[in-house]
Amino acid sequence: MNTDRIEKQREARALEEPVREAGALARKLGLDPYPVNYWIVDYDEMNELIAYGGFQTRYPHWRWGMTYDRQRKQDQFGMGKAFEIVNNDNPAHAFLQQSNALADQKAVITHVEAHADFFANNEWFALFGDRDPDAAAMLERHAEVVDDYMDDPEIERGEVERFIDAALTLEDTIDQHRTLDRAMEDRDEDVASDIRDRLEDLDISEDVRNQVFSEEWLTEQETDTGDATLEEPRKDVLAFLLEHGRRYDEEAGKAFEFEPWQREILDIVRTESYYFAGQKMTKVMNEGWAAYWESVMMGEEGFADENEFLTYADHQARVLGSPGLNPYKLGKELWEYVENVANRREVAERLLRVRDVTWRNFHDVVDFDDVAARLEPDPVVDRVRPDTLSELAELGEDDPRVDHEALDRAISGELDVERYPWKVLTYEGLAERHFSLIKRQYRNFLERIGRSELERLQRYMFDDERYESVAEALEDVEYTAGWDRMREVRESHNDVTFIDAFLTEEFVKDNNYFTYEYARSTQDFRVASTDPDDVKKKLLLRFTNFGKPTVAVYDGNWANRNELLLGHQFNGVMLDLQQARDVLERAFDLWGRPVNLMTIVKEFDEHEVEIARRRNREPSPTEKGVRIRYDGDEFEVHELDPELEERIAASDVDYDTKPDEWLA
Amino acid sequence: MGLREDLERFREVGEQRREDLKEFIRYGDMGGSGPDSIRIPIKVVDLPEFAYDQLDQGGVGQGQGDTPDVGQPVGQPQPQQGDGDEGDEDGEPGEDHAEHEYYEMDPEEFAEELDEELGLDLEPKGKEVIEEIEGDFTELTRTGPNSTLDFEQLFKRGLKRKLAMDVDEEYVREAMKVEGVTAREVFEWCREQRIPVSFVWVEDEFESIPEAERGTWASFEEMDEHVDQTTVVQRIRRDGLKEIPFRREDERYRHPEIVEKKEKNVVVVNIRDVSGSMRENKRELVERTFTPLDWYLTGKYDHAEFVYIAHDAEAWRVERDDFFGIKSGGGTKISSAYELAKAVLDEEYPWSEWNRYVFAAGDSENSSNDTTENVVPLMEEIRANLHAYVETQPGGTAINATHADEVDQAFTETDNVVVTKVSGQEDVIDAIYEILSTES
Repeated sequence: MNTDRIEKQREARALEEPVREAGALARKLGLDPYPVNYWIVDYDEMNELIAYGGFQTRYPHWRWGMTYDRQRKQDQFGMGKAFEIVNNDNPAHAFLQQSNALADQKAVITHVEAHADFFANNEWFALFGDRDPDAAAMLERHAEVVDDYMDDPEIERGEVERFIDAALTLEDTIDQHRTLDRAMEDRDEDVASDIRDRLEDLDISEDVRNQVFSEEWLTEQETDTGDATLEEPRKDVLAFLLEHGRRYDEEAGKAFEFEPWQREILDIVRTESYYFAGQKMTKVMNEGWAAYWESVMMGEEGFADENEFLTYADHQARVLGSPGLNPYKLGKELWEYVENVANRREVAERLLRVRDVTWRNFHDVVDFDDVAARLEPDPVVDRVRPDTLSELAELGEDDPRVDHEALDRAISGELDVERYPWKVLTYEGLAERHFSLIKRQYRNFLERIGRSELERLQRYMFDDERYESVAEALEDVEYTAGWDRMREVRESHNDVTFIDAFLTEEFVKDNNYFTYEYARSTQDFRVASTDPDDVKKKLLLRFTNFGKPTVAVYDGNWANRNELLLGHQFNGVMLDLQQARDVLERAFDLWGRPVNLMTIVKEFDEHEVEIARRRNREPSPTEKGVRIRYDGDEFEVHELDPELEERIAASDVDYDTKPDEWLA
Repeated sequence: MGLREDLERFREVGEQRREDLKEFIRYGDMGGSGPDSIRIPIKVVDLPEFAYDQLDQGGVGQGQGDTPDVGQPVGQPQPQQGDGDEGDEDGEPGEDHAEHEYYEMDPEEFAEELDEELGLDLEPKGKEVIEEIEGDFTELTRTGPNSTLDFEQLFKRGLKRKLAMDVDEEYVREAMKVEGVTAREVFEWCREQRIPVSFVWVEDEFESIPEAERGTWASFEEMDEHVDQTTVVQRIRRDGLKEIPFRREDERYRHPEIVEKKEKNVVVVNIRDVSGSMRENKRELVERTFTPLDWYLTGKYDHAEFVYIAHDAEAWRVERDDFFGIKSGGGTKISSAYELAKAVLDEEYPWSEWNRYVFAAGDSENSSNDTTENVVPLMEEIRANLHAYVETQPGGTAINATHADEVDQAFTETDNVVVTKVSGQEDVIDAIYEILSTES
């Protein structure tokens, strides 16, 4: 036991310097991370932390056991080696695995710093807690509350767990684009309580009641299944349940107000969901961001020595090399694209200002090899060594690329410039060193700029300043364009907007993306389209609303019987109906009265399927609106009223990318 | 720590992680399985959520090196990543949820499990001696070729002999030093002491005792008091084991036992109505019923062969792969299938050598009188462990579909004919049970 502690402490001490320097380098590169506390943990602890989503304490529930179980299984097959975990908090906490090699640890630390920067600056995270989430404390508090309820002799433990189960099935039905509080604000004016109940409350004499509100009239009200009463469907289903949900009492056969513990648990689940929403919405961006900066800091800064570098290269390969769609890879590639596009634009703009260069003759007149050569970083900035320090000094006090204070210390021997060459440079200097367009793999990126873009750039150029020559123009190039732009983007975007904005045709083709669909004729999945628009659509489907269908509350007083009416906002892709029913069952536990779900199903006519199969085509289904109802006992499926069907049906986007003559 | 409890709770919640066989047969995806390997999806223990239908959703992939062509199959897609995890984990790019884990079993295991789950008890019969095989090398004879000499035995016997005859010579020599004793007297005394010496040896040794030492002891008793005996083991340890006396009579030669092996073999004839009325849903029910039966019998018998016969108004033999998919358009004459079955069985699978199961399925439609006039007699003629007819008729029986009932009536007294009806997936298990438990 003790030796374990000593080991960990020793490791921790060995990492003090890399941690400190990684933080310093990150800041030099323009990042602004939350401060991070690093912890060394062993293999089991790591798996436990991952199971808990990066925290040490969570409320008691078997779902953590499930994640843990899976994590361990993945690891068994060598597929899911977790290198680190860091959580979104200020200060952030990062956990490193004890057994990792030093090279891995260094890589991981730089990765963590980048994550911490993302958490601190992306505005979607700010929706919750406004840059001071105080997450660990909050989650611990929640854990205590639930623990207390579990231990409470008055409350049946199984009931608490079942209630949490039910709430969790609706975990993602929140309004993630709003803050926790604002999403709660929507007052639902149209939700009337049960008419009979209201009449009770009114305390009118029986005579009046019988005359005015006859039984006949009442029944009419109740069976009038007209339009759903909510004008604006409520996306935050959990909030709605919190406000208007009831618990069903089997014995009494009716619904009662929630117990305080139920209300609190529902609130806890909802709050935590909002907390984690930021992470869920930005996974691709965040992972790509971290992967990008890790490779800048590691491979290109000579952070590691040669052996370490090989270990590191292997590490990268493992993370980025998985088959299938890899969000890390997608993210990193998109970021590199953002960088390149911004840099390219900067250079193009300069070149367009050269006398006699226009968007029309750009590709004829510009000598791209020459441009590339000129864009190479100044060798003095590119290769920093103890013996080149004097040359750096010669650049002069005004040179923005040199950190003169550090340079002085380096010259006097206080600073080890062999280990940390980057220290004597500034952000501008580093940007020049890392300028993306001169990297071998992006050599002809500039040349590939499209004419329409050039035309657009020129159109909005109001600056009259003209350069006399290409050489002159290139001298003014701001090498920081790419990184500046990247930082802007990481502030404002989420995965959906990120993909929407930057996944272009060029990107899709360069990276060999394609869509696949299920073919009924061959009963397997096949490549459907390589069209960039289709790829983007499919990707957006996967990331919009956490990759889940959007379900909102359409009525809390359906059929005037206080039934809950949920609607699946149909976008062309069907629901998993079996799961949807299972969710409805749980939803009943949170509403106390019958619950309904509107959705659209696709049905295939057997006969048509046969014909299609014979002609080697895919059969086309008919869409039908249905309302699935659960009353605590059994399910019913009704045809959906056409007006309601219209409300939930999508009109614009068709997410089906199957081509017509697909498998003929 | 809290997690340990959470893990325990998870285990309790998800006790049966593997889809149980009944569920698998009724509803499961049999696509991943083949005749010799059965892949049962592992039930994912997870809370439900509003999610897209996986098939309808499709997805995005990335080619390695270049873009694949439209129409090319893609590998099993990664289940769409939702929010599976809340933290930030490295090294988990695919975000595998355990959704497509399979438990793979061979037919033997399948048969065992199904036996357990359904309470079955089918005993495969051995039909004929197909070969004499060599069993264990347990037979021992006194003679034989050198290569079959059981050296171990030889050595053991020799060792035993040696141990039994080993003598504490020192001790006996001391005995010879008793006052006034003769060689013969020493010999007699040894015999009494059960020390196995020969008189000749005693005499020789007696001569070699030095005069000075004679009379060291007053009597045998005194000698015994003062002299320690060594045990055989001690002597071996001290002196080493120089020789083991091998004797001819110790030689043993091993021969293998001749075992007459009765092979448990089985031929399963699967007959299916492929006429126009047998649509997709009925076909699926047939598949769900027959496939597990096939697996079960493969698992129970040492050697299983299959005959697939499709029929409408005529019958023809098909391969397994085509069997479930074929669809024809004509009328129905079930006897055609039985005639073909009889021919095949008579020619290729004689009753003396093969266990036979004849399973037929359809929607009970048949040409008028064909059942009573042709099928029933044919069924009587075809000797088999079991005849079964599975009526797949969703929604109950149609008007002209009486085959199942007629067969049932004709064979009420017979043990080896079973008729069962399947109108939906839920009935499949019961049907299988009925069939398999009828076999006597």
